[in-house]
This record gives sequence, structure tokens and C-alpha cells, in this order.
Amino acid sequence: MSEIERTDEVAWDHVITSKKRVLDINVKELVKYRDLLFLLVRRDFVAQYKQSVLGPLWFFIQPLLNTLVFTVIFGNIAKIPTDGIPNMLFYMAGTVVWSFFSLTFTNVGMTFATANGLFSKVYFPRLIVPIANVINNVITFGIQFLLFLGFLFYFLLAGSALHPNLWILFLPILLIHVGLFAMGTGLIVSALTTKYRDLRFLVGFGLQLWMYATPVVYPASIVKPSLLWVLWMNPLAPVVEFFRFMFLGKGIVNPLFYSISVVESLLLILLGLVLFTRTEKDFIDRI
Amino acid sequence: MALCVSVDHVSKQYILGNFGYGTFRHDLQSWWAKLRGKEDPNAKLGGPGLGEANEEFMALNDVSFEVHEGDRVGIVGRNGSGKSTILKILSRLTTPTRGSVKIKGRVASLLEVGTGFHPDLTGRENVYLNGSILGMRRWEIREKFEEIVAFSEINQFIDTPVKRYSSGMYIRLAFAVAAHLKSEILILDEILAVGDMGFQQKCVAKMKSLGQDEGRTIIFVSHIPGYVKELCTRAILLRKGQMVMEGETLPVMDEYERELRG
Ligand SMILES: Nc1ncnc2c1ncn2[C@@H]1O[C@H](COP(=O)(O)OP(=O)(O)OP(=O)(O)O)[C@@H](O)[C@H]1O
Ligand SMILES: [Mg+2]
Repeated sequence: MSEIERTDEVAWDHVITSKKRVLDINVKELVKYRDLLFLLVRRDFVAQYKQSVLGPLWFFIQPLLNTLVFTVIFGNIAKIPTDGIPNMLFYMAGTVVWSFFSLTFTNVGMTFATANGLFSKVYFPRLIVPIANVINNVITFGIQFLLFLGFLFYFLLAGSALHPNLWILFLPILLIHVGLFAMGTGLIVSALTTKYRDLRFLVGFGLQLWMYATPVVYPASIVKPSLLWVLWMNPLAPVVEFFRFMFLGKGIVNPLFYSISVVESLLLILLGLVLFTRTEKDFIDRI
Repeated sequence: MALCVSVDHVSKQYILGNFGYGTFRHDLQSWWAKLRGKEDPNAKLGGPGLGEANEEFMALNDVSFEVHEGDRVGIVGRNGSGKSTILKILSRLTTPTRGSVKIKGRVASLLEVGTGFHPDLTGRENVYLNGSILGMRRWEIREKFEEIVAFSEINQFIDTPVKRYSSGMYIRLAFAVAAHLKSEILILDEILAVGDMGFQQKCVAKMKSLGQDEGRTIIFVSHIPGYVKELCTRAILLRKGQMVMEGETLPVMDEYERELRG
């Protein structure tokens, strides 16, 4: 009896049981680990360009290459219209936004696969890893976005009929929206890959199809108005169109479907966090 | 001394067999077959043996003990007796199936060779990474950096990626980090195995002083009885997941050595 009393007097820092709470996130602990977060962001960022022969230039090469390929294949060969916007600018806008989503989604989705060496040896709040991935990709987006701005100014000076407008102020919200959506779907995938190993390949393939279901290489305006709602079912479709509308003045903005997309991203991040925190507790037993 | 770890009726159950290799395709197939009222094609796949292969296994069975601040506890037992399992639970890498563990203070753990070091980063970068993983601030690590390098005796290799370290060098640096950074509880699993004799002695001496001079709590697993006797104030003997004895080091070690002799 006396022993039980004594045990209860101690101010325990950690209580480890099999109980799984629905959303077990310790924000205070995450804040305490901010130095680790910075370190991981820096490490991943540096590792990205150290692995490529081109060094830091890689951040520019990637969107440029995508833009070039799209311009040749979809612009010059397939001759898909681009809403009257210069081809290069049109594809670059699409690819910059799409890459932000797809890279974040892929990186976050691989969390348990890439970090399992670390996860099985030391404890730290696991969420730090996907958060670092998101921050890292925001920085990458920032760099590629500057490139896009450079091209935009060039075409503006050259007198193209482009109409950047005040909706640009909405960009931070659009970024948070895409970031949450990518992180949410990524977290869901990361949790599922600990159960299904083959899911990773499926995801890679699915991502490619997903891009073609998103108005990245074509404008929404080429879709028949009566069928447009099918396109809007894809939460990323309104996002890409809105981005183009802000900076280039062309694009179909549907406030209803955009709002639905925002709500979806909030639901997905919640579901992702729930699944992730459930998985992290004992996933090392199953690797 | 105040209590800092309380292990309360902890059991850990593992499922043996290949259950972890689920594939999406198989589950989809099974689900599709069930939907059409057909027999699950994957049930036949493993044959009758499959169900038995996935049997449950108790790696820890109703283990309870307490550790007080400044204690140096040795956990001993034969291979597979559950030593690493209890340390993994204490380090929060996994959860117990039943029971609970309560901890007061920061825990630094060094579990077998290959602590959370990142192979592509240099020794220096890993010291910072490891320190941050323990929840330390950058300046706290910087303060201790020289001491860590001096203790590990790998001065010249500190800016080499750790994948090029020998396993002994690896564990030296890992131990030096864990021992020098602030944490109230230090958990060590068979870290002495790959170090040379000189380093083993140095580690044991260091751990002893951490306990005696700094009042840090140490939970230590080793297969070398001599070191457990030298270092630990208390010992716990595990046998097939059960705690068979707990108390003063010497009597527990006598029992363990009797068990080893069979
Ligand atoms: N993820 C796992 N899945 C299934 N069984 C496991 C798993 N991890 C450990 N085990 C089993 O649990 C038992 C205890 O393992 P543990 O690693 O705790 O032993 P140990 O006492 O540390 O042994 P050693 O002295 O060899 O290090 C072993 O039989 C092991 O096979
Ligand atoms: Mg072990």
C-alpha cells in the first residue's frame, strides 16, 4: 500500500502503456525539439543538391527541364492550347505548384521507410521528420517560385498579355492549403506503407496519373463546361487554376470547389495525424 | 533516493511468422473474393501451416521493478530472455502489450551497435544530430563537444562520415555523446561488445563516475558478468521473459552464473 502511494507522488515525465489515444501529439515536446527540426531540414536540403552533379543549380534545372519537356510535347507536338499564355510560362506555373505537392507528398509518404534506421534506435517525436520534409519542400518551392517570377517579369517586359492581380496576396494561404493537403495524404500513405509494402510502387504510379488529372499541362478551359465538375473532384485542380489566375490572369476559379478542396485538406491532415500517431508507437515491431 | 523508473506488470507480446509482409495486392484480392462470395485465394497460399506460424510469443511476461535516482541497474539473462525488449520499451521505441512504464527525467539510450547515427554525416554532424535527438539545445552540445571528442579518442576522424568508422570507433563516439550530454537516465545495451579492452575499462569507469559523482541513473545490459559486478548496484535476472530475481548485484549474478552453467 505504502509503495503505491509513493509511486503516485512522483511527477512522472513519461507514461508508456499500450493505450492509443486518438490524436496523441505533444506540442510542447515538438517545440523542445526545434533544434533537431532545423538540423534535419538543413541536412535534407544539403543532401538534395550534394547528391546531384549540378549542385545547388539542381533546384533550377528541375523545373526548367519539366517546363522544356512539357513545352515540346504538349505545346509543340500535341498543340494543347494554353489559354493564350506563353507556353513556357504556362507550364512553369503548373509544374512549380505540382512539384511542391508531389515532392512533399512523396517525402512525407516515405517517412517510415526512410527513417526506420533512426526510429528503431532512438526516441524523438516522430512527427519531426515529416514536418522537416514539408519545410524543406517549402524552401524548394520558394527557390523555384523565384525562377518563375523571373520568367514572368521577362514576359511582362516583352509585352505579353498577362494580368497578375491582387489575388496574389492569397498565395500564402494557397501554400498552406497545398502543404496541409500534401502532408495529410503523405502521412496516410506513410502509415499504410508499414502495413502494405507494395503500396509505395502503386503510389509512384498513381502520382503520375494524378498529374494528368490535374490541369498542369492543359488549362481547365479545354474541358467541356458540363464536365468541369469531374475535373474539380480532384482537390488539386482548383489550386493550380487559381495559382495561374493570380499570376497570369487566366484560369477558372470556382470558389465553391476551391473551398471544398480547403475543407478536404483539413480533414486529410487530421486523418493523417491520427493514422501516423497510431502507427509510430510500435511500428518498429513490424519492420 | 527518489523513484525515477517504475515498471509495472509489463508484458510484451510479439507475433511470430511473416505477418508483417502484407501486401496491398493480397488484401485487395482477399477482399474482392469475399465480396463475390468466393474462397479467399490467399488463404490457400500458405497451406495449413500458415496459421500456426503466426503464433504469439511473450518476450516479456509480467515484469515489475523500480529504479531509484542514482541506481546502476544491471539486467542480465541468456540470449532472447527479453533484455533488449525491456530497454526498447524504456526508451519509448515501442509500447508494452500490457502494463505500464513510468519515467521521470530525460532518457538517453544506446541500443546495440549503430545508435541513431546517420552514416552519411560526419562524426561532428552526428554529435550534433544525436544531441538534438536527446532534446538538447545547440549551445549545450557545443559546450561539451571538445570533451566528447577527447573521450572518444577519434580526433582525427571527427570530420569523416561515420560510415567509414570501424564498429569500435562508432560505438566510442556514440557512448561519448550519450555519456556527456545531459540526461538523467542512461540506458545501455551491450555497448561494450565491440570496444577494445582499454575502451571497455574506460567506459565502465566513466559510467561508475556518472552514477557516483553526477547521480545519474544507469540501466545496463551486458553479457560480461565481471563488468556488471563492477558497475552495478543492483541487478535483475530475466529468464524467458520473466523476472526471476532482483536485488543486490552479487546474489543475482551468482544465480545467473548458475543458470549459465546449466
Ligand atoms: N519485432 C519482433 N518480432 C518478433 N519477435 C521479436 C521481435 N523482437 C524481439 N523478438 C523476440 O523477443 C525475444 C527477446 O528478444 P530480446 O532482443 O529482448 O532478447 P535479449 O535478451 O536482448 O537477447 P540477446 O542477449 O541476444 O541480446 C527473442 O526471442 C526475440 O526473437
Ligand atoms: Mg539484446
